[in-house]
Amino acid sequence: MIVTGKPLPLRRANVDTDQIIPARYLTGIDTEGLGEHLFTGMAGGAELLAESPGANIVVAGENFGCGSSREHAAWALTARGFRAVIASSFARIFLENAYTNAIVPVVVPDAMIEGFARARSITIDVAKQTVQADDEAPVAFELDELRKQFILGGGFLPYLASKIDTVRAWQHAR
Amino acid sequence: MRSLFDKIWDAHVVEELPGGNALVFMDRVVAHEITTPQGAIAIEKEYGDCLYDRDRIVAVNDHVSPAKDTATAIQAQVLRTWAKRQGIRLYDIGEGGICHVIVPERGYVTPGSTVCCGDSHTCTLGAFGAFALGIGTTAQAGAMLAGCLILQRPKVMRVEVKGELHPSASAKDLALAVIAEIGFRGGTGYVLEYTGSAIDSLDMEQRMTLCNMAIEAGATTGIIAADGVTAAYLEKTQEAPSDWLFLRADRDARYAASVTIDGNAVRPLVTWGTNPGENAPIDGVVPVGAAAASLDYMDLRVGDKMSEIVLDQAFIGSCTNSRIGDLREAARVLRGKNVVIPTIITPGSQAVKRAAEREGLHEIFQDAGALWTHSSCGPCLGMSMGVLAPGMRCISSSNRNFQGRMGDGGRVHLASPAIVAASALLGRIASPADIGAPIREEALV
Repeated sequence: MIVTGKPLPLRRANVDTDQIIPARYLTGIDTEGLGEHLFTGMAGGAELLAESPGANIVVAGENFGCGSSREHAAWALTARGFRAVIASSFARIFLENAYTNAIVPVVVPDAMIEGFARARSITIDVAKQTVQADDEAPVAFELDELRKQFILGGGFLPYLASKIDTVRAWQHAR
Repeated sequence: MRSLFDKIWDAHVVEELPGGNALVFMDRVVAHEITTPQGAIAIEKEYGDCLYDRDRIVAVNDHVSPAKDTATAIQAQVLRTWAKRQGIRLYDIGEGGICHVIVPERGYVTPGSTVCCGDSHTCTLGAFGAFALGIGTTAQAGAMLAGCLILQRPKVMRVEVKGELHPSASAKDLALAVIAEIGFRGGTGYVLEYTGSAIDSLDMEQRMTLCNMAIEAGATTGIIAADGVTAAYLEKTQEAPSDWLFLRADRDARYAASVTIDGNAVRPLVTWGTNPGENAPIDGVVPVGAAAASLDYMDLRVGDKMSEIVLDQAFIGSCTNSRIGDLREAARVLRGKNVVIPTIITPGSQAVKRAAEREGLHEIFQDAGALWTHSSCGPCLGMSMGVLAPGMRCISSSNRNFQGRMGDGGRVHLASPAIVAASALLGRIASPADIGAPIREEALV
């Protein structure tokens, strides 16, 4: 799987889930319409989106997705066509939600963030776990070996469903 | 050699999975109306009548309760009809409250157990010596389907709080002090295992306040070993002591990290910025080195005195500080006085509300001119019952001061219930000492 596209250069650290999508938009029972509220909780967020037409890879600093557990943050990103987030670190719950929703979480050192923020084009090879800004040398990044499969082929809930008998046997022997 | 967390984890691992993951059994799944519908509908559609064990699930309408409009009415009704269809116990308006308040109140969390919920403040329940964590909607659906989460094993950070808290300081101040100490993202990848004499002397409500804010340091959760204080609380809510596992860390337990905090040195803290780690002593100033973006959003400057920050609203409530002890603290400060800014007091559950009213606290609040509401998450997350207008400044006993958290453009200062109450009386950030309130009072009436 190759993800190619343009950056949304947020650059900043601590992009919390209230900035990604404010709670007042969490009133649905499905994932419809969440995309239009993406980054409306962030000072200058809507303007940055408007200035970056076609952007499909978020580039941010440390601790992306901190705060609430709302998977709506991942749904709002995918609804607007975002397929990856490059950041120097992620908050745990967002990271789990990203994998479940096939958003590639790319962790690179803080010093590299500016290079990706300025790139005209970014290429992410999910299988090989490399990320490349324009024609720079590809940079390797880490992915969770198991959850990577959920990005490549989906199947988070079917995977858990396949474990039900194992869980029941474990519980019986508990 | 093992920490408290290690023991609970080891007892719940069903299977080791690739990539350092584990399939971890969940003794309890809590489901609320904001984050449950999408996942519940997805698994029902795909797998039919499929829940791993409906008796392990408890559902709560709490976030916007009662509904404020058609959309939130549909959310509540979806949770209601799903719970009925699946035979799940639902706490609805009238008997319910904030899930993290009613789950312990109704005896759904047990020492040594595991609990998950599609809500980041599930870490509150770590106060009972349980492994309790927030997760996304799909992970919650997976836990309802297969009884398990897929998790990376977190590291464990020992947070020892020595001495005892100064009479002017509360568990909220300690929570803010911990975040300031380890950093807003300093707990990421860790479980915070709280220990030490100052922790031992906290009551269960105070322990919940402390654990509630573990997520605000990025931690997977916080946890406190169950003891006699825990047992006394549980005896009032649960019938089955055989299920309680009073685990403790081994004396020679190994931790990936350790911090020590002097409980005696903790003083009342108030946030000035846009994350809970950006806080200062109430008698201090906005510190040198404060992040420019935070100052800009909050319309503050380095050197501004915290006690001179003028407020537009006060809120006491949320899963952090809405229990009976919090309300007694607020009443102690408000009794016989009048608030000068709009002040909203929202109990954490209907049971808390009724307990408060039996003590006459509702009279004190309303005599002071505050709005005394039914239980809900309310304005904490800017969804209902006190949402801020752009530029409005609110002092709040809740847990998040993020940009826009309590309303688009709204500014939030986090503090303890006593500080919020004193501030409501003076219209600026203030401590109970400023209005001549006693530092602490054992019995109010």
